[in-house]
Amino acid sequence: MLKTRTLTPSYLENTSQQEDTFTKRFRKQITVQIFVWLGLLFLLVFSYLPMFGILMAFKDYKITSGIAGIFTSDWVGLRYFKELVNDYNFPNLVRNTLVLSILKLVFSFPVPIILAIMLTEVRSSFVKRFVQTASYLPHFISWVVVSGIGFAFFSTETGLINNALMSLGLIDQPLDILTNPNSFWGLAVSTAIWKEAGWWTIIFLAAIAGIDPSQYEAAQMDGAGRLKRIMHVTLPNMKGSIIVVLILSIGSILGGGLVGSNFEQVMLFGNVLNSETSQIIQTYAFNAGLAQGRFAFATAIDLVQSFISVILIVSSNAIAKRFSGSSLY
Amino acid sequence: MNGRRTVEDRVVDTVNYVLLSIIAFLTLYPFYYVLIASFNEGADTARGGLYLLPREFTLDNYSYFFQDPKWIKAFGVTVLRTLIGTTLSVLFTSLVAYGLARKDLIFRKVYFLVAIVAMNVSGGLIAYYVVLKSLGLLNTFGVYVIPSMLSLFFLLIAISFFQEIPPELGESARIDGASELRIFGSIVLPVSLPLLATMGLFLGSQQWNAWLDSAYFVQNDSLRTITYRMMEVINQTMISANTSANAAQFTAQLQVTQFSVQVTAMVISIFPIMCVYPFLQKYFVQGMMLGSVKG
Repeated sequence: MLKTRTLTPSYLENTSQQEDTFTKRFRKQITVQIFVWLGLLFLLVFSYLPMFGILMAFKDYKITSGIAGIFTSDWVGLRYFKELVNDYNFPNLVRNTLVLSILKLVFSFPVPIILAIMLTEVRSSFVKRFVQTASYLPHFISWVVVSGIGFAFFSTETGLINNALMSLGLIDQPLDILTNPNSFWGLAVSTAIWKEAGWWTIIFLAAIAGIDPSQYEAAQMDGAGRLKRIMHVTLPNMKGSIIVVLILSIGSILGGGLVGSNFEQVMLFGNVLNSETSQIIQTYAFNAGLAQGRFAFATAIDLVQSFISVILIVSSNAIAKRFSGSSLY
Repeated sequence: MNGRRTVEDRVVDTVNYVLLSIIAFLTLYPFYYVLIASFNEGADTARGGLYLLPREFTLDNYSYFFQDPKWIKAFGVTVLRTLIGTTLSVLFTSLVAYGLARKDLIFRKVYFLVAIVAMNVSGGLIAYYVVLKSLGLLNTFGVYVIPSMLSLFFLLIAISFFQEIPPELGESARIDGASELRIFGSIVLPVSLPLLATMGLFLGSQQWNAWLDSAYFVQNDSLRTITYRMMEVINQTMISANTSANAAQFTAQLQVTQFSVQVTAMVISIFPIMCVYPFLQKYFVQGMMLGSVKG
């Protein structure tokens, strides 16, 4: 070792040693590298290969041509996009998608924040834990079960709520909630809040738990009551996590934001009778694509939606960065 | 917080307790109602007025459920996909995360980039369908468990979890000549139980609840999952009960109605989750917070 050091010029020695350690290091960690490659192979097949499928939106694709057909089919330019825009359903689809998403964002976003504050203000740890456990529970239940519960409560014939209201004499006709276009948005928003709001309180509870207790003591010394302490200590300290969650919600708004899947809700609560307000871009793409076999057209619809989503997440991130300094990336 | 309780304290506390009780009731009562309806005679439930306890207690709904080969099959498929799918994805995701958790890993940044892009960009349902079709996964049990083997969300959480494990643990085994796979299996995994429990609960409940893959990618009737079956029944009843006037009349003639089968299926599908959920709560709250810190 000492000998070689004296014999070779230092710059040569350095590079040769570096190369040596690089291959040596690589060979040493080859097993771990293989672990990671397995994961990359998986991503290549199930994530990256489908990304090339976006090309289908611009091609005359036939399902019989398989994956290779994505590359070999003829280009058709913007034909499917034109077809979508000229579709008589299009304005309705866009309206339903946007209204449903915005309503969900507006009504569901404050709920976990308020719930987290309420839970922190509870003194009894039993009550706190009990309500927390109860409120997370629906998160683990499938949308199918939620729609079953919706049916059990709201159906006109056997629905619990209609039965109760009828027997109390408050209504003479059962309320039609499940098949009425006017009630679909309310139904979708309220079931989404019921299912997911408790879940998102965890993040805000964590934010509150990180607040330095001396801030509360100082506020109390200054004579701030409970509500004032919430307004001036708890809420300002939650600002960072509120913004992060808001960005996440806006980025995923077309999918239903944080309170879950617009798609699953429409598949389950939507029906021919309320389709006027329940049909959204994704379900339309699904029907056109898998149900009717129009793969290229459906891909074009998917692409329009992804494009709007990307614009939303990038711009909401930029706005958050400008106004508060916190952002996702 | 010390000191005397002021009037404001009392008002805030009272309002808070009342509201939280309402929230707990609104969350739990629907589950309770489904449970009592599943133990009540179907025809009697259809008459309405069932609120607190089963009126005509019966186990008929359950015996009907467990005698119908269609439901049994669906139940079996769901149990199987949950067990196999969850085990595969927990192990595979941890294995990849174990590699990526090594800070001296060569090309680590490139690998992360590949994962982050995959997390945020998707080709959409149709392109995914085409890929699955070309791989021959459509209409097979494999479509339930193979494409979900790697969970990107948990990959990131598992990486930060593994980085907290003291490197000395693996170091001595490495000197003794243990292979990486062995270190992973007999040292890293056993000390990662909280992580594995969180992943198991999440990925397990995802597997248990999944129905879209059964709807999209499977036409073979014997491969349907219990959630898919429930969706079928609910879809039928939702329209028929709300449109035809004689739906109640029709169902009232049967002991076991469509509705009572539906609620029974719902109870059976919620039950396993209810059993494991309280025990794992501590872990998933930690996991969720870890995830939220990482964004």
